Amino acid sequence: MSRLRERLQDWFDEWKKTARLDYWLALRSVTRQGRRSAIGLVAIAAGVVSMLLAAGFFEWNYNGQREATIRSRIGHIEVVRKGYMDAGAADPFGYLIPEHSPARKLIETFPQVDTLAPRLSFNGLISLGESTISFLGEGVDPDREKKLSGALTILQGQNLSSSDAKEVILGQGLAQTLGAKVGQNVVLLTNTKSRGIGAVEVRVAGIFSTVTKAYDDYALRLPLRTAQQLLKTDGVHMWLVLLHETSQTDSTLEKMREKVGDDSLQFVPWYDTAAADLYNKTVELFSRQVFVVKVMIAIIIILSITNTMTTAVRERTAEIGTCMALGDTRRTVMRRFLAEGVVMGLAGCIVGVIAGLILARVITAIGIPMPPPPGMAQGYIAGILVTPRLVFDAVVLSVVTAFIAGLYPAWKASRLEIVDALRHAR
Amino acid sequence: MSIVVLEHVTKEYRLGEHMVRALDDVSLSIESGVFLAIAGPSGSGKSTILNIIGCIDTPSSGKVHVAGHDVSGQNPDQLASLRARTIGFIFQTFNLLPVLTAAENVEYPLLQMEELDREDRKERVQEMLELVQLSKYAKHRPNQLSGGQRQRVAIARALVTKPDIVLADEPTANLDHKTGEGILALMREINRKLRTTFIFSTHDKKVIDAADRLIGVEDGTVRLLGVRKEGQWAITNVARKAPAAQAQGKP
Ligand SMILES: Nc1ncnc2c1ncn2[C@@H]1O[C@H](COP(=O)(O)OP(=O)(O)OP(=O)(O)O)[C@@H](O)[C@H]1O
Ligand SMILES: [Mg+2]
Repeated sequence: MSRLRERLQDWFDEWKKTARLDYWLALRSVTRQGRRSAIGLVAIAAGVVSMLLAAGFFEWNYNGQREATIRSRIGHIEVVRKGYMDAGAADPFGYLIPEHSPARKLIETFPQVDTLAPRLSFNGLISLGESTISFLGEGVDPDREKKLSGALTILQGQNLSSSDAKEVILGQGLAQTLGAKVGQNVVLLTNTKSRGIGAVEVRVAGIFSTVTKAYDDYALRLPLRTAQQLLKTDGVHMWLVLLHETSQTDSTLEKMREKVGDDSLQFVPWYDTAAADLYNKTVELFSRQVFVVKVMIAIIIILSITNTMTTAVRERTAEIGTCMALGDTRRTVMRRFLAEGVVMGLAGCIVGVIAGLILARVITAIGIPMPPPPGMAQGYIAGILVTPRLVFDAVVLSVVTAFIAGLYPAWKASRLEIVDALRHAR
Repeated sequence: MSIVVLEHVTKEYRLGEHMVRALDDVSLSIESGVFLAIAGPSGSGKSTILNIIGCIDTPSSGKVHVAGHDVSGQNPDQLASLRARTIGFIFQTFNLLPVLTAAENVEYPLLQMEELDREDRKERVQEMLELVQLSKYAKHRPNQLSGGQRQRVAIARALVTKPDIVLADEPTANLDHKTGEGILALMREINRKLRTTFIFSTHDKKVIDAADRLIGVEDGTVRLLGVRKEGQWAITNVARKAPAAQAQGKP
């Protein structure tokens, strides 16, 4: 084990001394052997472009789905009473939090916070004429929800007008099943806090859809005040916190937990909520697909570099013999060829990244029309999002595979018999 | 003082079923500073001798001493370092690195010498290019040079490390007559000026005339040794080997 460490250390020391020269010579070879390098470069660049486009397309999709889910329904952070996530559905009145409190005031002063919206969740039955079906209801503050419901589309009618209006908006699927139209009155029935039955008649103000079809089939929303009257309570179940940027979620979460310091409250990031489930599963699925794409690209790069370098070693046999006659050791020969592989991988990658970024822009500008995905209500226009992370992955992928692909040809070059190699000049 | 000594050197190649004997019990001693031609018909073993002296090939049996080193037991890395410091090569086909300029080709053998910094290297390259009268072509690449110019770059490259011995395997065979004579004159001049030992192979009578020492080989054995003093060759014939040993060679 320690012998291996020593050897690695030796190699590294040697590398530090020789790398500049090796890479300078490799750059020479790659740039001055125009046509031969070009074939390898094009293959690598094409691989990188396909990886960036495929992964960038997936990235765009999950980025879009993530933002849509967050902004239409769940916000970035849900603040609830401890235990609500596990037991709240069975005992909705056991986990109420006040609508207004010092903790809420404190949260609203965070600079990262865009909006805080209180919500009251409940379920019950909705009736129109002869038909009665169950619903999933949310009492919302219409003013505050405006920002939080960016991806909630009003298909017909209007959104809720004020906090205490006697009106409701219905999910598209729910409205269809019920046969409800904008302007009609419907009756909502639910259990109240005092274990009685509450009822209210409200006017259908509008019909909406979100990105999640399953949700639209059962969901309705009514003004918070009206919902509270129906349930005979003045509490809410959660404060939804919308931040300016999704990337701020974790850091803000940390600070909130620390500063608010109220043990009865729980701060749940968006990705831990049930509503983010579909998103998380999609990401996992796509990540696997991207992995397969990466493996295929790695194979393309390995094949093309192995091929280019094997050809180079064969065509340059006399040159290798000459260098060794002039005093280059086997290791030097091996290092120089490995360097050529890496330079080729890197050069192909740079070309590929540039071409990929340009293509991504062009394709995004044109747009890719997409059918409604399973579980979602509408189709959409997709684009391609190339993140810095993707570019980094592409660079690492091509350089590492180029190095690996170069190992065998470089080793073969270093093992040539000098005299035989020199004979190739004739 | 002998700079190269071969003792009973034999070299065999396996060619399919049978063994080809390229060198058969060759013993030689070469003095420092000579301008030596190895002559003989095609296939006689000239290149094989040069390769063994140059430490790019190893004998099947026998001992080799080059510039005071016993080469026999050395590993490839030790041989590489010996070549880098004590031997310069000139090839029949020039063998310049095509992606490097003339100056960079000359600089190449210096790159592995850690004791030389950039300035030292540039200075030496400059000096060598002047010596072969190619300063004007420093930035040219090999394919922009004529055959004679290429061979002059190769000579500069062989000399830049200040080697003890320069080995040249048929250095003029790929050049027309006049250019070849120029190259030969240049090598001769350097030999006189720098006292570098030159060993070259040829089967051209005119080239032999430029030398001051001669080794004649035939069928893998040394047949004659010549020394030129004041323009006159003194030739010693080496006795044919005993019939028993010869039976193993060619019929
Ligand atoms: N790698 C090899 N495999 C088999 N035989 C070889 C090999 N190299 C040389 N020989 C044989 O060894 C003998 C001597 O070859 P060598 O190249 O030394 O001759 P040479 O005098 O240089 O000839 P030329 O004037 O044609 O260059 C020849 O018979 C040749 O066929
Ligand atoms: Mg020969």
